[in-house]
Amino acid sequence: MSTPTNLTRAISVIAHVDHGKTTLSDRLLEYTGTVAPRDMVEQVLDQLDLERERGITIKAQAVRMLYKADDGKTYQINLIDTPGHVDFSYEVSRALAACDGAILVVDASQGIEAQTIANVHQALEHNLKIVPVVNKIDLPQANPELVRQEIEKVIGLPAESVIFASARQGIGTREILEAVVREVPPPTGNPAAPLRALIFDAKFDAYRGVVTYIRVLEGTLRKGARIEMMQTGKTFEADEVGIFRPERTPIDELAAGEVGYVIANIRNVRDSRVGDTVTEADRPASEPLPGYRHVTPMVFAGLFPTDSDQYQQLKEALEKLQLNDAALVYEPETSAALGFGFRCGFLGLLHMEIVQERLEREFNLTLLGTAPTVEYRVKLRDGTEVPVDNPDHLPNPAEIESISEPMVIATIVVPSAYLGNMMQLSQERRGQYLNTVYEPGDRVVLTYRMPLAEIIHDYYDQLKSRSKGYASLDYELVGFEEANLVKLDVLVGGSPVDALSMIVERGKAQVQGRRLAEKLKTLIPRQLFEVPIQAAIGGKIVARETVPAMRKDVLAKCYGGDVTRKRKLLEKQREGKKRLKRVGNVEIPQEAFMAVLSLD
Amino acid sequence: MERVHSLYLHVPFCTWVCKYCDFNAYAVLEGLIPAYVEALAREIEVAAADLPVGPLKTVFIGGGTPSLLTGPQLNLLMDRARSIGLASGAEVTMEANPSNVTSARVEAWLAAGINRLSIGIQSLQPGALRFLERLHSGGEALDAIRIARAGGFANLNADLLYGVPDVDLSMWLETLDAVVSEGVDHLSAYELTVESGTRLGQEARTGLVTMPDAEAQLEQYWAAAAQLGRAGFRHYEISNWARSGFECRHNLAGWRYQPYLGCGAGAHSMFRLDDRVTERSWNIKGPHAYVKQVAQRGRPVDGRETLSAERARGEAAMIGVRLLEGTAAAQDFPSERRQLVAAGLLVEDDGQVRLSRRGVELANQVGATFLA
Repeated sequence: MSTPTNLTRAISVIAHVDHGKTTLSDRLLEYTGTVAPRDMVEQVLDQLDLERERGITIKAQAVRMLYKADDGKTYQINLIDTPGHVDFSYEVSRALAACDGAILVVDASQGIEAQTIANVHQALEHNLKIVPVVNKIDLPQANPELVRQEIEKVIGLPAESVIFASARQGIGTREILEAVVREVPPPTGNPAAPLRALIFDAKFDAYRGVVTYIRVLEGTLRKGARIEMMQTGKTFEADEVGIFRPERTPIDELAAGEVGYVIANIRNVRDSRVGDTVTEADRPASEPLPGYRHVTPMVFAGLFPTDSDQYQQLKEALEKLQLNDAALVYEPETSAALGFGFRCGFLGLLHMEIVQERLEREFNLTLLGTAPTVEYRVKLRDGTEVPVDNPDHLPNPAEIESISEPMVIATIVVPSAYLGNMMQLSQERRGQYLNTVYEPGDRVVLTYRMPLAEIIHDYYDQLKSRSKGYASLDYELVGFEEANLVKLDVLVGGSPVDALSMIVERGKAQVQGRRLAEKLKTLIPRQLFEVPIQAAIGGKIVARETVPAMRKDVLAKCYGGDVTRKRKLLEKQREGKKRLKRVGNVEIPQEAFMAVLSLD
Repeated sequence: MERVHSLYLHVPFCTWVCKYCDFNAYAVLEGLIPAYVEALAREIEVAAADLPVGPLKTVFIGGGTPSLLTGPQLNLLMDRARSIGLASGAEVTMEANPSNVTSARVEAWLAAGINRLSIGIQSLQPGALRFLERLHSGGEALDAIRIARAGGFANLNADLLYGVPDVDLSMWLETLDAVVSEGVDHLSAYELTVESGTRLGQEARTGLVTMPDAEAQLEQYWAAAAQLGRAGFRHYEISNWARSGFECRHNLAGWRYQPYLGCGAGAHSMFRLDDRVTERSWNIKGPHAYVKQVAQRGRPVDGRETLSAERARGEAAMIGVRLLEGTAAAQDFPSERRQLVAAGLLVEDDGQVRLSRRGVELANQVGATFLA
């Protein structure tokens, strides 16, 4: 089983969404005989059902392949599949830190996209050797030659090093494996040094507890060793050490350079944090590996059961989900309008959607989610600073000295024809223009500094719709910046609905208030009585709309023969009402709580 | 099982199926009528043998167009009803199309034992009659009332439709006035309702026909209510008015949640079991299949549902509130009642509740509230 260190490789596959990363990984597994073609469920590496349905990777996966190269030697290639979405960029960075090289996949018809650039930057930061691949060359609209030039020009990799491939048809697979063993350097860590293994993922197994995915960078991890997590200081006994082929296969030890897993009776993924360093408790390393970051959520939203009887079930579901999702945070929240629920923090909008979908699907809950917001930092006149992740909790304006909001650098890659649209959109969203770079293939890389709050409010959808779907986006948090912000309150039927409050720029507040009231008017169904909708800033009403009362709802006839049908009709009416949330005496549908997201 | 005192007989044949109609009715099947009447008579016999039916306090022959039946055919059906047992003073209603009302027929109907005639006038306006695809004129419709009265019917109803496109308020009230002046004892005024699956439904969906808005429909409704009130009619159900003592007892029994036996194609029955569970069943719809199945297996029941005592109470309340004098059926729903009273849809008096004016306009909202 053991492979000399100089024949070991650890690589990742990096790509923009949909460029064929997972399909390529599948081909590599097949070609190296790691998985027999007949056992090949399409996309072996994506394991969650949701991942398969959405065609995205949420959690990193790892697998060991053995490859007999042209030089006659058999190499051990460890492949780490990384998440492919900006929400999970920290996980990507840790997965890359566990590698020595990366296969960069670029779609032959799409060319370089925002995430391609972001991924390459990250790979280069980790000093990874990059093997560039142009994929999907078999598609009719493919232009591999142009993409090859783009790779040289934009990324600075020599055009002649680019491999043409079609993962779907298995073209180029051998060339890629050859390039990996030739170009990617072998690990350099000393197997005799004190243990330092990098955690790049962790997964909760109902029977075994947490399975921690690691790469040993220095030293050797043996079964039975007492291990210590260097960030948390917690110690565990390594019950099982193993590798992925691709199913878990126990072995006696993992030496420097090797990728595998450790099971150590860890009951919560929080004790096995991505980016932490595993060392030996008896002979600890002096320093942890660099780059650990405590993951903090970027986006917050309230989750409430539509049926308040489901509160306890929601609580238990969140507890279970959190065992497997260290990035998910939550705390109980009480909304005057929506009752008891939880304020949850997510890595981004996709993460939020996935969590809500899993809660509903796997735990059979019906949830009402409030519009996502970012976390603001509010400096009070008394000198203290408080974080505010719920617009309704913004302190009284009289107490506020200043409010800061999280800022990002957004990178947009778009065909030049849509440059004007992208700039206009970004300007509308309080973006500060930074830079434009023209690329081959008539494309532009545009960078803006802008508030994260603007990004999560429908920016991506707008970006897509104003570029006919061509624009791609990546962003990176760069800190907080003071802004002139106010709270916009919404009153429905005369009473404030806390879950509809939002924090907006003062200059746009009145317009936003008007748009929100108009939008809510279309979303709130007619009730028995007239329902006024008002938007207010600091107690001053800035907009008012009215949902007129229901005028007529009566069946002319109801005789013996009709009763069953009529009753079913009314029962259906009533059933529909159950999906509405009653706030005061007004029934409000879920979409209304999301209205604040799209006010353009 | 609670004893059943009401019988409904369905006659699914029409000379022409009007474009707004979504009842179980068929044109060009006249050839089937004799066999159908035989089957219907047989079903009554079988049902009466199986179920605690009679004595009958009400019989209602509806359709379709039952006035297409001959005297002997009606006699056969009424003989069967009589063999179940007809209470003295029983109300026996038949629906009639104005085109069929002649003195000879009126004589035959009375002879068969029918003592209440419900005439489908719908409208007197030529444009509206054309729009509704009625085959009679306004004058013929008024003649039908006159002939029935002269022939000896002491209990007459007219069915009218309001909210017909291009019939404005004054035209509608003219129609109403003319029908009332002709001397009917009972009046049903229905809003012309667009049902999906009808030709009118399709025309409305495709924009060929524009229906009056809710405001205009309610204006015609309340104006009719006022005019009928002045003429001495009592508004006793959402769409029904009667001179004192002429309320339709058959329909009243239904709104009061009393059981009934329905025979004929697509007819519904409702039974009350001893534990207050309600059982509803319905016959197979198609007339051909009906005839065949009666011959094979007696009652051609095609589906049934049972409602727990609790759901049945909700249903009883949903139907009961349609009676404008009020109902005690909502007694088991104190919190719903409070909520509806607070919303101004129900008025509480004497332990009963009744719809307010606004409650009449939103009766479905009220009804739905009682369906848990």
